[in-house]
Amino acid sequence: MIFVKNLTKIYKVYRKTGNLINDIFLRKYEDILALDNVSFEISKNELVGFIGPNGAGKTTTLKILSGILYPTSGKVSVLGFSPFEKKEAFLKQISFVMGQRNQLIWDLPAIDTFLLNKEIYELDEETFKKNLQKLTAIFSAENLIQKPVKMLSLGERMKMEFIAALLHQPKIVFLDEPTIGLDIFSQEAIRNFIKNYQKEFQATIILTSHYLEDVKRLAKRLIIINKGKILYDGSLTAILQKFSSVKYVSLILEKEIKKEVLFKIGKPIAYQFPKVVFRIQKKDLPQVVAYINDQIPYLDLVIEDEKIEAVIKNLFENQQ
Amino acid sequence: MFKKLRRNLKIFLLFSYQSLKTTGQSRQAIFLFTLGKILRFVFLFGVIFLVFSKTKIIAGWSLKQVVILYLTFNFIDTFSQLLYREVYRFRPQVISGNLDLILVKPYHPFLRVLVGGVDFLDLLLLVPYFFLLLFFIFQERISFFSFFLYMTLVVNGLIIATAFHIFVLALGLLTTEVDNAIMIYRDILNLGRFPIEIYQQIISFIFTFIIPIGVMITFPVKALFHFLSLKNIIFSFFISFFLLLLSIKSWQIGLKKYQSAGG
Amino acid sequence: MKKYFSVFTLTLKEYFAYRLNFLIWRLRVFIGFLVPFFLWLTVIRKAKNFTGYEEQSIVSYFFFSHLLSYFILGTRTVDIAGQIQNGEIINLLLKPISFFDYYFFRDLADKILNLLLSFFEVFLFFKIFSIPFPQVNLQFLPLFFLFLTLGIFLSFYLNLLISFLGFWSAEVWAPRFIFFILISTISGNFFPLDLLPKKLFSLIILTPFPYLFFLPVKMISSPQTLINKIDFNFLFFMGSFWLTTFFFLARFFWQKGLKSFSFWGR
Repeated sequence: MIFVKNLTKIYKVYRKTGNLINDIFLRKYEDILALDNVSFEISKNELVGFIGPNGAGKTTTLKILSGILYPTSGKVSVLGFSPFEKKEAFLKQISFVMGQRNQLIWDLPAIDTFLLNKEIYELDEETFKKNLQKLTAIFSAENLIQKPVKMLSLGERMKMEFIAALLHQPKIVFLDEPTIGLDIFSQEAIRNFIKNYQKEFQATIILTSHYLEDVKRLAKRLIIINKGKILYDGSLTAILQKFSSVKYVSLILEKEIKKEVLFKIGKPIAYQFPKVVFRIQKKDLPQVVAYINDQIPYLDLVIEDEKIEAVIKNLFENQQ
Repeated sequence: MFKKLRRNLKIFLLFSYQSLKTTGQSRQAIFLFTLGKILRFVFLFGVIFLVFSKTKIIAGWSLKQVVILYLTFNFIDTFSQLLYREVYRFRPQVISGNLDLILVKPYHPFLRVLVGGVDFLDLLLLVPYFFLLLFFIFQERISFFSFFLYMTLVVNGLIIATAFHIFVLALGLLTTEVDNAIMIYRDILNLGRFPIEIYQQIISFIFTFIIPIGVMITFPVKALFHFLSLKNIIFSFFISFFLLLLSIKSWQIGLKKYQSAGG
Repeated sequence: MKKYFSVFTLTLKEYFAYRLNFLIWRLRVFIGFLVPFFLWLTVIRKAKNFTGYEEQSIVSYFFFSHLLSYFILGTRTVDIAGQIQNGEIINLLLKPISFFDYYFFRDLADKILNLLLSFFEVFLFFKIFSIPFPQVNLQFLPLFFLFLTLGIFLSFYLNLLISFLGFWSAEVWAPRFIFFILISTISGNFFPLDLLPKKLFSLIILTPFPYLFFLPVKMISSPQTLINKIDFNFLFFMGSFWLTTFFFLARFFWQKGLKSFSFWGR
């Protein structure tokens, strides 16, 4: 469905020197490499999460895939179309939701925007009514659609935004930071909504987010991007296997233990009786567990993976 | 083909209807804006009469002719403001990033950013302005042919106005530094309130043949009174066609160079 | 006093951050100047004498009109309404700085910068089109400074008053629009007010508008033609009356606005 090959995007930015004449007549441009020779493919009914720090190139990628930005070089094909051409047949099958931004008309109730979209996407009366009913039901937001948008809270507005964006059952949905700035309940509601939507309508969903929680809950496939380069493209679970060689072993001690005995495992990263936490290499796990069972009386033993956040953070730091 | 036209018309009407709804929300604004515009119109009308109270002719134009010129200016100015009001709101949409959400929709963005905000307050005034214009024209002895030529050239002037508005949109895509591009256009257009001949040669030339305000407003009125040469008539149509094409091209270039807002 | 000086320099710095925009603004003002200038020049060249004005006095009037128009009428107080609406005004109120003085110095920086540029523009324009520079009658200079000061302060308080509407209504642009229309038509910006028939002129003298802009410009360009028509003492009295009125109204509505305003931000 989506084919990206050797995609590069360079932004031209002015560098202001502070000198009046220079800044008007002899402008210095700086090239910012937003995407550097990026390639990937996404097929039907996938839910892909793009993560990366600010300025990594996530939003740029989405904007190129939806046709908003023009690629500097490389090949992009979405649903068989070249997105920048913005052919009507293409645009009718996609949708873009940006966190904290609205396509809703500010002064009027959301229903007016929905009716507008009905015309724009040429939905027949029945489909429109059916989809509207389905979508509002998922959010339980029937009473919100008649209120002027300016009077809704951010969470409520984003719900209306989602409904407006999905009325036409797009095949591909681009979500750019959809939960940013929302309270926990709204975030939860949006995540469930996206999950349900995909199940029901079999759409391809591409999501960017700062909140790893969004990605953990929704995406099976993760693309990690930083400084315009893809660092990882694969499943969420595999990332731990690939990049993490570390396990965390936490113990709740039954009684005070001699330091030498305890520290034979290694130097703990946290030690406040009765809790002690060790960070050990995966390969050493069997030995360590055997030793603990043998030498250390404990009330509780927990073995955890490294947090995905930490793995990813390491990935970025190693990239420098 | 017709289906597409019908759909575009439907979308346009929907946008206009919503614009009407939004306008209708503040009665104070409706009243004050309309009042302000009427005041401005009346005052400038007064100035014209003041000028002509002592001088019968200025730059070869009689009082009646200058009045018709002013009313033609008013008609063209009001009509283009009425239709293209949304252009005044373009820059905030670019800066906030809302433009992206418009570009992703399956209709030509012009339906929204150019004509998507029809200003009904101006529509209210356009009707009396139009009848006033007709009233003064038919007080003179005007042949059907010159009236027809006049109307054609007025429409031609509106095409030039369209081109200018599209240039402003293209500029908004290319740079965020300029926040009052549309107002420059308005200020330049205001030069056309009076016969373009009152300005010194160079200025008159620039604003007739390069930034063709003179073509938009002075020429149609000249044609009405038979003092427009054939050469200039042909030039008028040529320049509007040229500018319109150029403006659309610059919009397309603007889209390619567009860098969007935010990350 | 030092803090107000830094308000002054900060405002200037802001302009330099938006150079292109500022230059385009000056271009706009200059184009606006061309319309009345050429209109009246054309008229006077035909009529030779128009209600006491000759070519020289018309040219002089518009020369000084362009110089002084922004200096007197320009203001940054238009920002105030927006600041009230989005709550930014709170920052200003919490600082140990007088609100009125803050905006006055902001305006001063704004006006001086524009004055310098308008001088440059009109100088260049007159040079290019070989128009002789007007001469100033030094005898009337004190009167000029008097009415100039009057005009600046009157403009300041009037603009503040309109901005303070922001305390009660979200839509200040409509009243501001009306004010702008009135200024651009009957303040003397578009034509010298004493071109009007006597009856109309004596009516307008009773409104605050001539005192903003018309009188200072008149005093420095061609005061003689005014002497015959009207008593300067009366003018001074009316001007002071309006200034005092708006001074107290502005302060009054400021206090009232602060009290009734609920300081919600969006």
